[in-house]
Amino acid sequence: MKKASSPWTKGLSLGALLAAVCVLPFIVKPFQLEVLIFLFINIVLVVSFRLIAITGEFSLAHVVIMGTGAYASALLGKWFGLDPWLTMLFGSLTAAAIAYILSFPLFRMKGFYFLIGSFAAGEAIRLSWGRFRGVFGGSKGISAIPPLEIGNINLGMPVPFYFFALAWMVICLVIMYRLEKSRLGLTLHAIHWQDLLAESVGVNARHYRVLAFVIASFFAGFAGTMLAHYLSVISPHEFGLGIMLSVLVWAIVGGVGTFAGPIIGVVLLSFVDESIRAFDEYRPLVYGIVLILTILFLPEGLQGLPARVTLFVRRFWRGGRRETVEARPTGAGVASDRPPPSAS
Amino acid sequence: MKTKVTRRKFLAGSAGTIAGLSLAGTLPKRSFAHEEGEVIKIGFLGALTGDLAGWVLPGLYGVEIWVEQINAAGGVKVGGDWHQIEVISYDDEYLGAKAVTGAKKLVLEDEVKFLVMSFTTPVFAAQPFLTEQKMVSTTLTPSDMSPERPYLIAPVEQHPFYLVTGVEWIRRNRPDIKTVAFVTQNDELGMNSLATYAAAFEVAGIEIIEEKLFGFEITDFAPVVSAVLAAKPDMLCLDTAYPDYINLILEQAFLQGWQGPLIGASLDNYPAIIAKTSQEFLEGYIFHYPDFDDPRLQEPDINFTNAAEFYRVYTERHPGAWNAVSWEYAAILAMWKGAVEAADSAEPMDVFQAMKSTDAPHIFGPAAWWGTEVYGIDNAPVGKWPVVQMQSGKPVIVDMADMRPWLAEHQDVLMRHMKDRNVI
Repeated sequence: MKKASSPWTKGLSLGALLAAVCVLPFIVKPFQLEVLIFLFINIVLVVSFRLIAITGEFSLAHVVIMGTGAYASALLGKWFGLDPWLTMLFGSLTAAAIAYILSFPLFRMKGFYFLIGSFAAGEAIRLSWGRFRGVFGGSKGISAIPPLEIGNINLGMPVPFYFFALAWMVICLVIMYRLEKSRLGLTLHAIHWQDLLAESVGVNARHYRVLAFVIASFFAGFAGTMLAHYLSVISPHEFGLGIMLSVLVWAIVGGVGTFAGPIIGVVLLSFVDESIRAFDEYRPLVYGIVLILTILFLPEGLQGLPARVTLFVRRFWRGGRRETVEARPTGAGVASDRPPPSAS
Repeated sequence: MKTKVTRRKFLAGSAGTIAGLSLAGTLPKRSFAHEEGEVIKIGFLGALTGDLAGWVLPGLYGVEIWVEQINAAGGVKVGGDWHQIEVISYDDEYLGAKAVTGAKKLVLEDEVKFLVMSFTTPVFAAQPFLTEQKMVSTTLTPSDMSPERPYLIAPVEQHPFYLVTGVEWIRRNRPDIKTVAFVTQNDELGMNSLATYAAAFEVAGIEIIEEKLFGFEITDFAPVVSAVLAAKPDMLCLDTAYPDYINLILEQAFLQGWQGPLIGASLDNYPAIIAKTSQEFLEGYIFHYPDFDDPRLQEPDINFTNAAEFYRVYTERHPGAWNAVSWEYAAILAMWKGAVEAADSAEPMDVFQAMKSTDAPHIFGPAAWWGTEVYGIDNAPVGKWPVVQMQSGKPVIVDMADMRPWLAEHQDVLMRHMKDRNVI
């Protein structure tokens, strides 16, 4: 049996990690600070994406939903002069509301049909931003979005925004983690693996899928509002299919089976992305190779790598003797940290 | 001998490839023509991957060749010394977030002295930082200019204003043309272009009898082209659209039997279009982006050294890649080089002052800084621009027309159309 780490060990590890990220902005280069800021926003985005994935559905509208939050916050600020703090809340709520409306047609579908349906819905929204120039600014988008401020501190500056984004990322992650570990989270896992069984005991699977979709969209919208108020400019292209594919790659490479998987994916691939900039137009090739290798050899994602390495080392030391079931890495798919469903 | 590729071999090989690429990634970023001695660094920040790469990457190829040629000739002279030029690129993926990161890396870490950028959102996103740093940067679309972006200039591209020169040429040379129909890309690029064309056609006395807009969701141009041809125009205008769309529109017009005159901003990769249509179909097409082996571009008033040699090397090295932007970023650097030598300094503000202190040495001849009336700031040189016509399957410059007289006389018409179409 794998020995669980004690609360003290976990607490100390998290404390050390938090201390390290608090020191980072004072030692890294300015452009690396930007990478970290956008990384925090992307972590919120990809973890919220997983919240839908644990119900068994992959939404290709997630980045566009992020964009609805960004657009709503920017437009409320520009039209009504509302305080950015308020517009961020309304922006997140707008994203959740749009997701709720979309859920009516989308959750009549499942699996591949849901995937394609969500893509179509997202593109319809995104193309409307380009089409209705008077409202959404067309393909140029919206610029001069007011930055956030706390008293005299301008959060539009990198170091203050770093801590702002870090704090909100931690808050969002804690909430989403608690949600997954709650009764709601257990139900979401259940309807992924055995939706008919769950329904037979009185669980309304559609209702819970919609709930996960709306909650995840709220957090994606929040990530969008952070992006809008930091960049001060947004456009339809910022929320295009390319970014959506990146989110998918982060999640798949990291592994959607555990809460940490997508975080590992986005962190690692963001740094890989920066380190291979010398290749310019050939970078997507590297991304593609990483994705193919992961799917082929690490179907559970990078989060399963330690278990595989452990297995390999044990085999090596024991002269290639076959390993026991307990030491094997977890299987592919969502909720792989749970016992496999019974065949009965 | 049959070689079996096992799973393990494949994994090891792939891992080795990734490791090699990652290791190579730690090497200095893509830069070229770095030789001994003090170099002047220039940043190139644009979409080298993704949807918009087609209007940036060919420009980077051009910059590479231009830098090679300039460095081979000694470089740029500052303070009596010759300096080599080094261009450092960063792929912004046409994303604001990446543009901000790239701008900070290029300015603060690589210490570039001048920043060449693409257009719109990435340019907007990076401007607050660049303005704070007093870094001179460039855009390909003058509509990006604003008083809030005082050091952003549009030194070469005069889109959409040069479009009036093509319409004026039509007015003078084709008085039989009385009506025109538009197929227009429904975005800022297309609508700015449409507004300018509409003003120019109004001045020329040519009536617009159909305007058909299309969005990026389009998959079939047949109904769009059918609708405009049904209006029976004397001429078909393709406005300004992405190259792939231009190709598809022309193909449809050919298939539907159009045999009349054509006009548009660009005609990228025309050999491929001729292959799908015919040389006769494209004969007489009026647009604005020449091949650089055109005899007119070898004349002394052109501020681009060795244009024909530049074109020869480009087309040899990158077959099929030549398009509207292939020379534009290089032409920006040619203008920058002139300003550096005039200022006797490569410092951004000195170069900026040198650029703005006189009439701009635009690639196509003398030009005046302009833009306040439309964009609130005079950061775009406006002067001559070529009118190009397809003749026997080859673009030929038929006029090097100055757009300033037209703008001076008809600016009110232009502004009215731009306001009507909500582009200013």
